[in-house]
Amino acid sequence: MKKTHILAIIVIAIAIGAILSTVADSSTYASFSEAIENPGKEYHVVGKLDKEAEMTYDPEVDANLFAFRMIDNNGDAQTVHFAGSKPQDFERSEQIVLIGKYENDAFQASKILMKCPSKYNEGQPGEMQEFTAESATS
Amino acid sequence: MEINYIGEHLWAGQLGQISIIIAFVSALVAAVGYAFATKNDAAFNDWKLLSRSAFSLHILAVFSIIGSLLYMLYNGMFEYHYVWQHSNSEMPMRYILSSFWEGQEGSFLLWLFWHAVLGAILLKTSKSWEAPVMAVFAMVQMFLVSMVLGINLGDVIRIGSTPFLLLRDHPDFMNLPFLQNANYLDNLDGRGLNPLLQNYWMTIHPPTLFLGFASTLVPFAFAIAGLWTKKYTEWMKPALPWTFFGVMILGTGILMGGAWAYEALSFGGFWAWDPVENSSLVPWITMVGAAHVMVIQKNRGQSLIMTFVLTTATFILILYSTFLTRSGILGDTSVHAFTDLGMSGQLLVYLLAFLFLAIILLIARWKEIPKSKDEDSLYSREFWMFIGALVLVISSFQIMFTTSIPVWNKLLGTNLAPPLDPIAHYNSFQIPLAIMLSILIAVTQYFKYSKTDPKQFSRALVLPLAVSVVLTAVIGYLMHYTNVMYIVMLFTTLFLITANLNYWVSVLKGKMKIAGASVAHIGFGMILLGAFLSTSKTQVISMNTSGTDVESLGEKGDFSNRENILMMKGDTLRMADYFVTYVGKKKEGVNVFYQVDYLTKTGNDYTLDFSLYPRVQTNPRMGNVAEPDTKHFLYKDIYSFVTYAEVETEETKEKPEEYKNTSTKQMAQGDTLFAGQAFVIFNGFNLDVDRAKYELQEGDIAVAADLTAVDISGKRTALTPIYVIRDRMAIPIPAEMEELGLRLVLNKVIPEEGKAEIALYEKPDSYREFIVMKAMIFPWINILWAGCLVMIIGTILAMRRRLKA
Repeated sequence: MKKTHILAIIVIAIAIGAILSTVADSSTYASFSEAIENPGKEYHVVGKLDKEAEMTYDPEVDANLFAFRMIDNNGDAQTVHFAGSKPQDFERSEQIVLIGKYENDAFQASKILMKCPSKYNEGQPGEMQEFTAESATS
Repeated sequence: MEINYIGEHLWAGQLGQISIIIAFVSALVAAVGYAFATKNDAAFNDWKLLSRSAFSLHILAVFSIIGSLLYMLYNGMFEYHYVWQHSNSEMPMRYILSSFWEGQEGSFLLWLFWHAVLGAILLKTSKSWEAPVMAVFAMVQMFLVSMVLGINLGDVIRIGSTPFLLLRDHPDFMNLPFLQNANYLDNLDGRGLNPLLQNYWMTIHPPTLFLGFASTLVPFAFAIAGLWTKKYTEWMKPALPWTFFGVMILGTGILMGGAWAYEALSFGGFWAWDPVENSSLVPWITMVGAAHVMVIQKNRGQSLIMTFVLTTATFILILYSTFLTRSGILGDTSVHAFTDLGMSGQLLVYLLAFLFLAIILLIARWKEIPKSKDEDSLYSREFWMFIGALVLVISSFQIMFTTSIPVWNKLLGTNLAPPLDPIAHYNSFQIPLAIMLSILIAVTQYFKYSKTDPKQFSRALVLPLAVSVVLTAVIGYLMHYTNVMYIVMLFTTLFLITANLNYWVSVLKGKMKIAGASVAHIGFGMILLGAFLSTSKTQVISMNTSGTDVESLGEKGDFSNRENILMMKGDTLRMADYFVTYVGKKKEGVNVFYQVDYLTKTGNDYTLDFSLYPRVQTNPRMGNVAEPDTKHFLYKDIYSFVTYAEVETEETKEKPEEYKNTSTKQMAQGDTLFAGQAFVIFNGFNLDVDRAKYELQEGDIAVAADLTAVDISGKRTALTPIYVIRDRMAIPIPAEMEELGLRLVLNKVIPEEGKAEIALYEKPDSYREFIVMKAMIFPWINILWAGCLVMIIGTILAMRRRLKA
């Protein structure tokens, strides 16, 4: 066998490895009901802020706990805990993507992506902003 | 009804729009003409002359488009949508360039501008390559101009989006009532440049990045020209310096983006594997690969196919990156992609046209492209350089594949979401690849082309190996590295740097002219080392030091190790080696600066080390933005930003609050009572009461408690609550201290024990100012920035050498 063939095989093998690891590491978009059925498993959940419900962020008690309710795309509402400070302009968000898992009777978000009515271009669909709560374990 | 609007400058937009059409048509003529001229017959000389004039006209037209738009911005012609959207009358003129390229149309113009400049240089320098190279250039320009054409075909198809559209012709404004007023311009001001982008980064980063994008076109045009005219190897000589130029400029542009993110945006680092960052990094990696295989090819005539593949792939990846960031497809996954202007179809056509052009040409010429028959020796430089190029290909493939998840979803109808932890995901591949690459860069140049004596080779490597083993041991010990992968990474990057340094000093005898490769590699190694040290040992110092017990909330999960710290105004908290005080805020223009003092403690004294002023940019229209402030030391950066704060600086009016009883204590002389912001000492009773002051009546018996309140700063205040007995009734008269919100009541006197029962009432803090802040230490990040400079210098040296050759 020629060296080029060996190299080709190695390159293809690593490339397949890269594809598989991407698929394995990728998450799925889900609804709250799916997340509740599989507590502890991480999901991306897309939805809107429940503007009727109360938002709690009291930094004097805990600067790292922000709680709110979100309605997912199926219309289910769920309490969400985010271990970080309240994102700027959260009230104005029109779309939210949560990354996290369901645990202890609430959805524990480790990351929030939110879309406001455009930060940069008024009147146009907004841009995503990202907020991460990094825990000591990651 | 026709309205005669007053005060509009229609000629400026018409000049711009006509220039766009001229630019488009002249690019089309030049592309066709140069294509005919490529046949290279004497008869085709006329074609060449025609196309040369056409392309020169195109260059002038591009300058005229840009001039028109700048003129409109400079004179605040808000009747134009683009001017209205990106500037206003208050904007300082130094941001005129930022507002020029803030929008998509403007950034396409910037790109066109650089292509025109590079095209002008090639027109003069490409000589025999002029016809085919300029044909490719003109074709690319034609597609790019079409992005700003702004022509509607029927009702459905719109080609491009022009920056010269009048506000009153814009679909969002057309029917608004204020446009019925012929004088509408009198009261119209622009919306203004996003304050977030009003900084010098926005002035220097986009032009550098777009020059980098533009520079990938030159090697691409030469490669296509080589395939087209069947000069399969000759094209590389003129293309190689341009490839190095592109590596340098695009690399600088990307690193500037990282520096901007680090200095001015609160992302908490310089690289986040964001799709937008990735999509400009990937073409840079393939261009580095292309430069290396071109060097192999030049010296040994091997791996010709690879030079074509990598050179064309680089440009096509730039187009793909444009497609990803501007088509809106990244939508939910990226923090800073452009919004869709409805041009995704057009961008896709552009991308596919050049992809198929490259693929079809490669397939058509495949048989004719010379391939080397003999295998490279394992002891040859070209073999290992080639392996290095393969590692780069794999690295770029992995980054691109994950970044493209939204594209796969569109194509395959799947519903995959990006990795939960993108940094860990990318690192799991990129760290091992970086390790392999470092070893390859370290050893490869000790091989000679074609054949090397193994003994000589291994002897030369002994010194750098030994030095890097020692350095790894020392640094690993001092910085407490225990993870095996990290130690390997540390070792290989150090090996890369020392081996190249050694090669430069002992083999090249320190000569500057030929040191390009070694210097660039040392720079690259420093970037890797700096990135590795600063990210693997990033220390969040704002953790869990607030006086508030957060662990009591532990039921819901682990709240003990979170990264935000609450600081009350005036309080001093410990953060790593520092004591930190939030001093207060002040407003300057749109920015609210929060002064945070970092103190060091020696004995019992605090000395001010430095102050940081992280800020929040208030922006009622677009939302407030936090910007970090960083203290730079030689060996570390202290980086902090406000994650939550009140932005109002007017003292919020305090509502009259009720005093609340917080403690009651029987105190003997000398006893102390603790209040929230002070402590109170009982000095004893005092029977000598100022009767007039307290309006005491005849027959009243009064006794005072002699108290001293000591506040945090050590200030002592005397307080005398008194106890009056009138007609067998006890009337306590309290003493108050408004400043500290204290009220002390002498409830009872117990003469037999010499004690006083003192009740402490405190006003709950109606308003105490605070901020929530995050602070991090990035150790040795300066190695990264220094590495950037070294790599740029190295690439310039390499470019100069290839230009002279």
